[in-house]
Amino acid sequence: MTTVALPPLPEAATSAPPPRPRRRRLRPSAVVGIVMLAVVVGATALRPVLPGFDPFGQDLSRVLLPPFVDPAHPLGTDPLGRDLFSRIALASAVTLGITVAIVCLNAVIGTTVGILAGFFGGRIESALSVLSNTVLAMPVVLLLIAVCAVVPPSAGLTILVVGCTWWVGYARVTRNVAAALRAQDFVVAPRTQGADRFWSLTRHVLPNVWPHTLIIAATDIATIVLVEASLEYLGLGVQPPTPSWGAMIYDGQKYLATDPWLVILPGIAMFLAVGGVQFLSQQFTAEARGAFLRKGARR
Amino acid sequence: MLAFLLRRLALAGATVFLVVTIGFVLGRLTGAPGALLLPDNASSADVDALNASLGFDRPVIVQYLDFLRGVVVGDLGDSYRLHESALGLVWERLPATVELAFWAFLAGFALALVAAVVIHLSGSRILRAVVGWLGATRQAVPDFFFALLLVLIFSVTLGLLPSLGRTSPASLVLPVVTLATGQFVMYLRLLDAALSDQAEQDYVRTAFAIGQSRPTILFTQMLPNALPPVLGMAGLNLGGLLGGTVVVEVVFAWPGLGSLLTAAVSQRDFPIVQAGLLFVAVAFVVVNTLVDLLVARIDPRTATS
Repeated sequence: MTTVALPPLPEAATSAPPPRPRRRRLRPSAVVGIVMLAVVVGATALRPVLPGFDPFGQDLSRVLLPPFVDPAHPLGTDPLGRDLFSRIALASAVTLGITVAIVCLNAVIGTTVGILAGFFGGRIESALSVLSNTVLAMPVVLLLIAVCAVVPPSAGLTILVVGCTWWVGYARVTRNVAAALRAQDFVVAPRTQGADRFWSLTRHVLPNVWPHTLIIAATDIATIVLVEASLEYLGLGVQPPTPSWGAMIYDGQKYLATDPWLVILPGIAMFLAVGGVQFLSQQFTAEARGAFLRKGARR
Repeated sequence: MLAFLLRRLALAGATVFLVVTIGFVLGRLTGAPGALLLPDNASSADVDALNASLGFDRPVIVQYLDFLRGVVVGDLGDSYRLHESALGLVWERLPATVELAFWAFLAGFALALVAAVVIHLSGSRILRAVVGWLGATRQAVPDFFFALLLVLIFSVTLGLLPSLGRTSPASLVLPVVTLATGQFVMYLRLLDAALSDQAEQDYVRTAFAIGQSRPTILFTQMLPNALPPVLGMAGLNLGGLLGGTVVVEVVFAWPGLGSLLTAAVSQRDFPIVQAGLLFVAVAFVVVNTLVDLLVARIDPRTATS
């Protein structure tokens, strides 16, 4: 397209002051989310720095200490005398790593499937839709149970199985976006100049699709953490001695009547992390959706 | 409509085929079970003989075709430990799981429907915010943790409700409340979005303009239009609901599929796990196809789009 150079507008036409960029305002729920996350992330980051917090060291003379009694064990100890604070903090770090890996895998697979289905349509779309339905038909918990009957459970296996199955949400949304872009002039026009479809796909479709991927990823993090915890609870995730929230709650369940904090404290940590991400991502998604509506498609 | 029906059925058939194939591949990955079934001191000749008698010495493609035949006639092999039909064992445990999932779905959906209707009847933004916050808080903890909190309050402290097993109608309460509250938020969001969508339509404005009352418009016009797509989404969530049920069953020692399958994993009893996975997956595809056809019957536009 050729651009016609316009003469600069006279000063008078722009006399109105330029609109001040709107201040980003945090919604109250986002503030709550940030505070919740800060507690978990702070504890996780501080644990390796502070001396004396060992998640593995057992002390059989100090088992089942309640929280807030012994300053050396601020959150108490478990039935083997291990420090609960250290174990919960290490478990958060482990969860963070696994979650990031899973979400990345999901985003890449789902967006690829979605773009291909939406951009090419037809048979490719039908085949990919059968694939999505197959993945949806096998609940991830059942699938992992089946896989664990074959291969011993581990963190890597969780990443692989959940990472390769939890992508249908990405595929749905990106398919719709790509299908809407397919017929747009700025996507079709380069083909008249000899560009192939791959060019349109990478130069024009992908830049308009991936922000949607980010939005889904932001809302999906919380769900993934919960799925992961359920798998750990069933003994199908991270294996001991590495601590995990789900496994800690499973182990603490036996002491529910006498020492309920063994269940409640890891649960609170999980609540802070998941709830924090949820409340924060609401801000992010609302803002991003608004921005897309205002800007429209990027050419 | 016929074309839609055929296309939908073909899609369902292809999905079932893929699921079954994945089930077979997983089964092959376990390898031949002879060494697992015999005592540790069995000779390798005995192991080979047992594998041969179970058909594991045949070419893979023959085993695959035999497996497909088994799926069609409903024979997925015997459990390694219990020496009964694996599908029979799954079938035996199914009523308990279906009972739990059914009541959880009903309670969760009914609760969400009531909440959504009240929100839209009152038009109260505060009510919507409060319900939304409560739901989001519930969704921030996993089912098994919420379940243990309920046990701590209602069984351990108050001694009101049983915390284990499936002995009386009262033992349904805690697992169903756990699952239903977890599902509630999703249904509420879907219903609220669908109703808000309808509220902006011209026909609703017209209905208000000719003086119809808010309840009349909501119940006779907006709800019938808003419900079908929400039901379709709820059908898609069936897999998630069953997955959640598996975990909650383990918490409450509920004698359903979840307990059967997790026990089978620790005993490396693969046929049971395979039968359970295939059964759930096929049930999911069948239910979803039926929901789709039902929605298309209620709203023919979905069939043509």
